[in-house]
Order: sequence, then structure tokens, then C-alpha cells
Amino acid sequence: MSDATAPPAASYLAHHFESLEKQTHAARLGMWLFLATEVLLFTALFAAYSVYRYLFAADFAEASRHLQTWIGLVNTIVLVTSSFTVALGLDRATKGDGKGARAFFLLSVAMGALFLFFKYVEYAHHFHTGELPGRYYTGDLGGPGVPMFFVLYFLITGLHGIHVIVGMTVLSVIGLRAGKGAYSSAYHVPVELAGLYWHLVDIIWIFVFPLIYLI
Amino acid sequence: MADPGAVARNEQEHVSHVARYAVVWAALLAFTILTWALSRLHIGGGWGLAVALVIAATKGTLVVLFFMHLWDQRGANRIVILTSLVFVALLIGLTLSDNATRFKLANPPGSEGALPAGPTDYGGPPAVPPRGRTVEN
Amino acid sequence: MNPSPHEGELALGYNPRNYLNTPATGLMSWLNTRDHKRIGVMFLIGTSASLILGGIFALLIRIELLTPGPTIVDAMTYNRLFTLHGIVMIFLFMIPAIPSGFGNFLLPLMLGAKDVAFPRLNLLSFYLYLAGAAVALWGMIHGGADTGWTFYTPYSTTTVTKIVPILLGIFILGFSSILTGLNFIVTTHTMRAPGMTWTRMPLFVWSIYATSVIQVLATPVLGMTLLLVSIEHAFGWGIFDPARGGDPVLFQHFFWFYSHPAVYIMVLPAMAVISEVVCAFSRKNIFGYKAVAYSSLGIAFVGFFTWGHHLFTSGQSPLTGGIFGVLSMFVGIFTAIKVFNWTATLYKGSISFKTPFAYFVGFLFFLVFGGMTGIALATMSLDVHWQDTYFVVAHFHFIMVGATMMAFLAALHYWLPKISGKMYPEGWGLVAAVMVILGFNFTFIPQFLLGNEGMPRRYYSYPERFWPLNVASTAGASVLALGLLIVLIYTVVTLKWGPVAGPNPWHSRGFEWDTPSPPPPENYETTPVYTHGPHEYDQDAAPARVPPAPEPRHV
Repeated sequence: MSDATAPPAASYLAHHFESLEKQTHAARLGMWLFLATEVLLFTALFAAYSVYRYLFAADFAEASRHLQTWIGLVNTIVLVTSSFTVALGLDRATKGDGKGARAFFLLSVAMGALFLFFKYVEYAHHFHTGELPGRYYTGDLGGPGVPMFFVLYFLITGLHGIHVIVGMTVLSVIGLRAGKGAYSSAYHVPVELAGLYWHLVDIIWIFVFPLIYLI
Repeated sequence: MADPGAVARNEQEHVSHVARYAVVWAALLAFTILTWALSRLHIGGGWGLAVALVIAATKGTLVVLFFMHLWDQRGANRIVILTSLVFVALLIGLTLSDNATRFKLANPPGSEGALPAGPTDYGGPPAVPPRGRTVEN
Repeated sequence: MNPSPHEGELALGYNPRNYLNTPATGLMSWLNTRDHKRIGVMFLIGTSASLILGGIFALLIRIELLTPGPTIVDAMTYNRLFTLHGIVMIFLFMIPAIPSGFGNFLLPLMLGAKDVAFPRLNLLSFYLYLAGAAVALWGMIHGGADTGWTFYTPYSTTTVTKIVPILLGIFILGFSSILTGLNFIVTTHTMRAPGMTWTRMPLFVWSIYATSVIQVLATPVLGMTLLLVSIEHAFGWGIFDPARGGDPVLFQHFFWFYSHPAVYIMVLPAMAVISEVVCAFSRKNIFGYKAVAYSSLGIAFVGFFTWGHHLFTSGQSPLTGGIFGVLSMFVGIFTAIKVFNWTATLYKGSISFKTPFAYFVGFLFFLVFGGMTGIALATMSLDVHWQDTYFVVAHFHFIMVGATMMAFLAALHYWLPKISGKMYPEGWGLVAAVMVILGFNFTFIPQFLLGNEGMPRRYYSYPERFWPLNVASTAGASVLALGLLIVLIYTVVTLKWGPVAGPNPWHSRGFEWDTPSPPPPENYETTPVYTHGPHEYDQDAAPARVPPAPEPRHV
């Protein structure tokens, strides 16, 4: 199962842990806690969305219908699929196949780039038609809630986009390290944690898609 | 000393997960298409959004349990994510309950039951002071 | 005292190979350290400096309020002063002081661990604290802010003062807080020594754990909120601007979703310290260990359900306000559980009235008195009368500052022998404690009365009928400041010239005293094994915690 090039497992053990088992548990728990903070970070925006969606329901629905739903749909499919390939990359890493993990991770990064490309197309269209947040809104729709929809649209998708960029960076670095044989079947926690981050980015988008595009 | 790979094997590696991943992926794609198709029907009365959110929650649960392996992992990690969800519900729920049950004139101008939206670059006080605010000061 | 090197020091109980001189003593060895004890000490220095800075702002405020009209500053400067006082005291002193300072030092020691789970993250947390403080201070020097520490919109989004750097500084400080909390949670879950079950953890650890949960879950919301205000201030998108359909009350919801639990980020660590001190100085087991431990988690949980009591008069719906008001009172139940257990611990104990115990007495008074006024304020109808008056100011100073500062000073005196190996002068300690406690009361009890008579907060002048009580308050503040100055002076003198304290001068049964003082870099020479719970004073002597034939700690 384990490959010969990988360093022995003991060298992964930091000095202050009793065993690699505890260290792995600690790393996972730390990552889950970090993901919880990310969830709460987005929650503030989702709460603002809920309040203004409640106050301006008709305007939000109208503004949402003016978005290009197909881009949202394609992006959802792209991101879900990239999550799948990240999971496959982790599966390779658990088998000690660093090169396989690298291939799947880089494939996921490519899909992240595709996601960002579609996002760019969409943003360019908004700039072109003046569908901008708050007082910069110069689009066709009249209701007072429409500029507010675009405030939240740009805040939520913008923050998510930043997370996609961070996630792509993390996947690239960890993927390349895995390709060089930095991890083994016995120890591949960084691969796992990078994957967790990417899955979270995916989950957030899973909620963004209906809220922004489908109401 | 315990075998360093024991946890990893116990929790993840005694079976290959490729088949499981593929099933989850197919389910995610199916749900994505489903939610998009349902949105084309324009279900009224907020039910459309409710259905869409239920589907999104289902998809999110699938990702958390199987892609992120919470299904196989220790209790502490599950408690972390459940606790964070409680607080998500708390912030959204209690904030929204305020706007929903508030004296309507205290809601932002332009929303239902509140004052009409004024000129866009006008920041002064509205013509009728909303009653909820006069007790302050 | 004894200038000869190690042999003499060891005979006196000073551990010659300690974290202060091992592996090195240079400045770089401190700035690069991964040792939780050194990081804790650096946090203590940083937070103490912030306390001095915030204290200077407070004194300037009190001097300005000495006379009804303008005294030393104009209205705008006064606005900046109380804003900076709030920001420095809350974000730079009270939130990090006990968890990041004493918590860092003590948590691994109490768990029998070599370090926190993520030592590098721990150091990063300290540098984020420095960076956040630097950015915020830059903004304070270049214009300050005049919004109050609460940054209420729409004023904060339109003010001409330099609010954006201050908001970003607090945003960075928030990440420091999150990382420390995350680290402590993981440490508590994974780094406990053999035999250290959950119900054998010292009560300090329980409270710090509960604090960390709040830090991790609430701080991101504050970060996002401050970013929104910054965006609003810079670009005017209108998310909180009623002229553009925004709801300013939504900002208050977001802000207090963090900032109310933040009160428990300040008070829970204070309770952590007090739970240790009360056992050590009454020489008794804690009464109702589990009740005290679980009530920490209860406070952390219920603390999240109460934020709306800050919004009673802001246009919030009366129904939601009523729910929040009732939920707020639940915090009183958990706090009362703790207070009754502490006082029950005193019962028939053999109390030694040392300086930390004096601060415990002060803490108990401030917590109960501040808490009771809090229950009154959580009643919607009464709050309408007291909203935005000095009654509120006095209330939150009692509960947050009073409790936290008493606990901070108790911790400083109780653990100074552990941290430095030196002993402070007991006589001066008691004198300063009396001055601090009395000074604090004389500062804020007049403010309760002023607020009840209707003096609003945040004004630099007031009608003449409020004059006498304001003079009393300023006089009290002077006594308080003098008491703190005495503490500062003798602490510095102690660090340099103080007598060696010995490994356990209090004969405390706290686990952190099992190791020599100051502790060695790896905390314990051999991995400790715990066979019983903490604070067990009913046994004759501390039972052996170390197995007879220990394995070497470093292989």
C-alpha cells in the first residue's frame, strides 16, 4: 500500500503530540472549526439577504429573473463536479498515489478557473447593463429593492469568488506537493484538509444558486 | 506505540470510496437539474424558495456526509458543524422575526407597509416620524 | 536576593532551567517562539500596555466631566476620546487579556500538555493582535473615530473621521481572537494528558473552553459586519442606509450578535480565574464542580440568545424584544449557579485573605451588583427609562470591567509566582486592592445615580444639577488609577528584584503548580498521569501524579 519514496510516518509527528493519531484528530478538528467560522462569516450575508428578501420580495424576484440562470446552472454543475474530482484525488492520496492526487486536484483547479470565467462573463454583463449595487444601479428595473438585491448579489458572489481563488491556490499547492511524494498512504492530512476547504466552497455555492438565481 | 496509520485506515481506507463518490456526484447533478426545473414552474407563495432550499440542504448534507467524510468521523467534528448550524439558524431566525413582526413603519422605506421610497439621494427624516423611534432620546 | 547561580536558586525553589532562559534569552528567541508560555507572556505585556492606554483615555474623559461646561477638550475631541477608550479597552484589553494571556500560559499546563495543539498558529495569533492594534492605532492617531465603540449606522457610514482603518484593525484583531479560540478548543479535545478526563479538568479550562466556543462562532459575524460598514463608508452602497431601502437596525442585530456574546468572552475567563482562586484561598474543594463547569457552557450558549436587549428602543419589534428580554434573564440563572457555588465553597473553608482573595471579594460584589442591574435593564419597560443614560454605562462597567479587571488582577497576583518565580509584596498588594475596589465603586456608583436621574451618556457637558456626582465619580477614578499605578510599579519591581517565591507559595492543589516555577520549556519533566480531579483539598497531601518509572519526555 505505501510507496517507497514517501518519508517514514514518524517524521510527520510534531514534538508536542503523543501520537500521529492524536495529531490527525487535532488537525481535522481544527479544520472543522475553521470551516464553522467560514459558515458564520457567510451567515451574516445570508441573514442580510433574508431580511431584504422578506422586505422586498417582489423586487428581489424580478431582479433575480433578470440574471442569466444558465450561467448559475452551469457554474453549479462545474463546482459540484470539481468537488467530485477533489474527492477522487483524496481517494488516490489514501492509496499512496501522489501523482494521481495531483492530477485530480489540478483538474479541480481547472474547473475552478472555468467557474471564475463564467463569473467574469456574468460580471461583465452586469457592468455593461448598469446592474450595480446601491446608488450605482442604472439598470431598467424600478423597484427600491432592486439595487439592494445587487448589493447582496455582489457581496455574496464576490466573497464566494474570493474563496474560490483561495481554494484554487490551496489545491494547487497541496496537489503539487502530493505529486512530489510529500505524503503517504499513512499520512495525507493536508490533502484531506485542502479537500475539506474546497467542499465547503462548493456547499456555499449550492445555497447561493437557488437564493440568487431561482427565486 | 500505536500504528500511525490506524486512524486513517479505520476511518477512511478499509473500503475504496470511489463508487460512493460517484453515486453522490450523480445525485448532486440530478438535484441541481431538479431544482432548476422546479424553478421554471414558478411555484407561488414562497413555496418555490422553500422547495429550492430543501433541495439545497439535501445537496449540502450529501457533500458534508460523504465528500467530507463526516459519516465516518469522530463525534467532535459532527458537533462542531451542528453547533454552527444552530447559530446560523439563530442569527437568521431571530433577525428575520424582528423585521417580520415589527411596527411596519419602522421597516425601511419602500418595503411593504412602510413609507414609500423617497428620492434616492435624500437622507433626511421621513415626513411622518415612525412611532417606534420616538421613544428614543 | 541570592546572586549565586543555579544551585542557590534551586535551593530557594527557583527553577534554574525555565522557559524564560531556555532555549535562549535574546529578543529574537522570544519573537520566534512557539512556546505557549512565552506567547502568553507577550500577550500579557501587550494587553497591559493597552490597559494603560485605555486608562489614560478614561482619565481624560473623567477630567473633562469634572465641570459642567467645557473643561479641557472640545466636543469632537471628547467624542474621539470615549470612542478610543471603548475600542482600546474592549478589543485590545478585555477580550484578549485573560484568554490569550493567562489562558495561553495556563491551559496546556493544566491539561498536562507540552504545548497548545497548533503552536505556530498561536504565534500567528499574537502577530495578528499586534498588526490589528497597529492598524487601529494608526487610525486613532490620524483622526480617530467619533462613533463610539459600537459604530452605529448610519452615523458611522457618514462620519468624516478615520473610521475605516479602525474597523479594519478590529477585523484583524477578530482573527487573532478566532485563532486563539480554535487553538484552545482543539487543545482541550486532543492534548489532555493520560487520566485527564473531561470531569477532571480544572474549572479554569472549562470556562476558557466555553469562551473559545463563543470566540470561534461569534467573531466571524463581527468581521463581516465591520467589512460591510467599511464598504458602506467607502462606496455608499446603502446596505444599512434607510434612504436606499437599507435597515440600520439590521446593523445593530449583526453587531450585537457578536458584541453581546463578547461580554461573555470577557466575563467567562474572569469566572475561570475566580473558580481557581476561590479554591486555593479557602483551601476547600469547589462546591458543585459539575454545576460550575456546565454553567460555563450554559452561559456561552444562552449568551447568544440575548443580543436583542440592546435594541429595545431602536425600532425592534416588541414581540422580538420581549423574547430577547426573557431570554436575557436566563443568563442570570447560570451566573447565579456559579455565585452560589463559590460562596458555598467559602463556607467553613480556612480562608487566607491574600491579595487574590481580596480581588475575589471585589469580583463577587461587582458581578452580583452589575448582574442585578442587568436583569433590571433586560426588562423592556425599565430599559426605555435607562436607555443611553449613565445607568447603562455604570452597569456595563460593573459587569464587564469590574468583573474582568478584578479577575485579571487576581490572576496576576495568584500566578505571578508561577510565571516569574518571584513573589510580589503582600502588604502593597492589599493596599492597592483596597484602593482599586473602593475607587471603582466610587467611580461608578455615582454614575448609576446620575443615569437614574437622566444624565445621557456621550455628552461632554451636562446641566449643573449633575455636578456633585460627577465630581465624586472623577475622584473615585483618581483613586482607582492610583491603585492600578501601585500595582504596576510593584509588579515591575517584583519582576526585577522580587524575592523567590518557591514552586508553590500558595500550597495550591491546582495542576499548574505541580511543575517547578517558572516552568521548564516542555512544562513537565515527565508526562503527568492524573488519578483524581482538581482542587482536592480534602486529601492530606497532593498524591503522586507521576508514575514511578516515567518514560523520558524527549526521545
